[in-house]
Amino acid sequence: MAEERELSYYINKASELVGKNFEKKIRIGIISSFTINGLEESIRVKLAEKNIDCITYVGGYNQYNQEILNPESSLYKFSPDITFLIIDTRNILGELFNLPYSISALERKNFVEKKLNEIQNLANTFTDKTKSKLIIANFDIPTYSPYGIFETKTDYGFHKMIEDLNCGLINDFKISDLIYIYDFNGFISQYGGDNIFDYKQFLFGDMKISLDYIPYLANDLIGYVIGYLGLSKKCVVLDLDNTLWGGVVGEDGFNGIKLGPEPPGNAYLEFQLVLLSLYQRGIILAINSKNNYDDALKVIEEHPYMILRKENFASMKINWNDKVSNMKEIANDLNIGIDSLVFFDDDPVNREFMRLNMPQILTVDVPQDPSQYAQTIKKMNDFSVMKITDEDTQRGKMYLEQSKRNDFEQSAPDLESFLKNLDLKVLIKNANEFTIPRISQLTLKTNQFNLTTKRYQESDIKKLSEDDKYVIGCAQVKDKFGDNGITGVFIVQKENSKEWFIDTFLLSCRIMGREVEKGMLGYIMNKAKENGVEQIKAQFIPSQKNKPIEDFLNNCGFQKDGDFWFYSLKTQFTIPEYLMVRVE
Amino acid sequence: MSKKLYDLVAKVMNVQPSTINDESGPESIESWTSFKGYVLLYELETEFKVKFTIDEAMDVKKIVDIKRHLKNHGVILND
Repeated sequence: MAEERELSYYINKASELVGKNFEKKIRIGIISSFTINGLEESIRVKLAEKNIDCITYVGGYNQYNQEILNPESSLYKFSPDITFLIIDTRNILGELFNLPYSISALERKNFVEKKLNEIQNLANTFTDKTKSKLIIANFDIPTYSPYGIFETKTDYGFHKMIEDLNCGLINDFKISDLIYIYDFNGFISQYGGDNIFDYKQFLFGDMKISLDYIPYLANDLIGYVIGYLGLSKKCVVLDLDNTLWGGVVGEDGFNGIKLGPEPPGNAYLEFQLVLLSLYQRGIILAINSKNNYDDALKVIEEHPYMILRKENFASMKINWNDKVSNMKEIANDLNIGIDSLVFFDDDPVNREFMRLNMPQILTVDVPQDPSQYAQTIKKMNDFSVMKITDEDTQRGKMYLEQSKRNDFEQSAPDLESFLKNLDLKVLIKNANEFTIPRISQLTLKTNQFNLTTKRYQESDIKKLSEDDKYVIGCAQVKDKFGDNGITGVFIVQKENSKEWFIDTFLLSCRIMGREVEKGMLGYIMNKAKENGVEQIKAQFIPSQKNKPIEDFLNNCGFQKDGDFWFYSLKTQFTIPEYLMVRVE
Repeated sequence: MSKKLYDLVAKVMNVQPSTINDESGPESIESWTSFKGYVLLYELETEFKVKFTIDEAMDVKKIVDIKRHLKNHGVILND
């Protein structure tokens, strides 16, 4: 079992959190069929460590039906952002949990269908009444069966009932962006049913999750908060020696490092495979290593057992500079916030140096034993996202294109000629079922070039897109090096027939500096003009991170009046001629 | 060894160890809720590597009861 603190730590620490200031806020509802004391305290303390203020509401014992069905319930009054619904197998099956074979196979099947309908109704009632995400825990499949070894030969047996409940939950809510299924059964498998369920705790205090494991459950559930708030880490920055391979290449040589199918080299192979799987889902990889560049690059390019190759790394700092300076350069190269970086280095001195100098970076507690590297990264909840979009899966390729673009920029005599020769195409798209997930994702994740930093969940965007008073669009940006995907978003509110208000205007950091924003703004202005609008109103809401957009309105000719900025559409707005703006 | 027990009780109940004695229990320690009582038993089991029976768990009213049950499991707390 990985290191975790005792539950009493969380319970006592939680009482000290009142009155503290945090960067982000979240309201969490927990409704369950059994006692899960200590869960809300563990969640609150763990979120406070991530600088998130968490306010919780814990429903009464086995009151989840009433909490959802009663429109006046305390849960609805609390108005959560995320609600966890945890019903245990014993509760959903009732008497059949102990006596599943007291009825026929057909009756068991009908029972499962009935229960799935009940859950579906509950979930739909809930999402009709609130804006909260609903996370439903699936059901733990016990290993025990009264039929013993004959269980798997039984027609629609006890285990099959629960498997069908779990499959049904996934199928019923697969397309919903409000309802997610938490794999509670997987949680039990991971830590072991015998460890998690203790008959004495159950009979003595109706506790169905052993107290030691409550903080682990909290860890899993926090993944949803990270995803909801758009705090997912974007990039893993890796050391090389004793991290991606065993030994020191400068001393042991190309043939002397440990990397291959045999132990201990297979530990590094396994770790690299996990990193590659993260890369394939959109996590950027980078290198920060004190090494001779040529020695290290030879391994990366030529070693027969390297899984990760040069093209998998969006930035490589292999030199003798200090790691903090390298880290700043990596963040700069990738144009992403320092706080979206994860640092993985086997050397505790380097880790401590990083923690002291760049506390915003998540420096992983790397275990001494490399055989545990893969598991360490797999257990992190910091990469959780509510949606994986096409842009995510293509991100690695896009960063590679970006590095080619950077080389091209450096070889160009000036910025203007670089931009002119880039063949920039801005494709404006409306909010629709294909673009809404990405639009929401960008509002949740974009910090730097974001005029108002308003965060919108998918359901919010969907709702606004159906409202005639809003114009919502996004920009897909292509150039001669490739497709950057959807990287710009705007939400415009038609305040009245003469004036439109820019509620949201943002660009992904990887597209900044190419004046794509002027293409988007030009589109908004033209559309407003076509609708007889006379002026555009905008607002800049400063945050800790959006300095890059601070002068945007001024530079585009907006005039400030009080808290707002105005642009009269009598003045022609010029889109840079090297931008080809097309509307889809 | 009593100190080890008192320290653990103090940690779980979030009070000063000096306030704990053999007669301490839910009546004298305000923060000793029924849930914290469960947490205490669980952490005692982990700390002293014992497993209380359900009867023993239900019988704990004061620290002295814990000492008695620990003794039954071979844990002698010398002062």
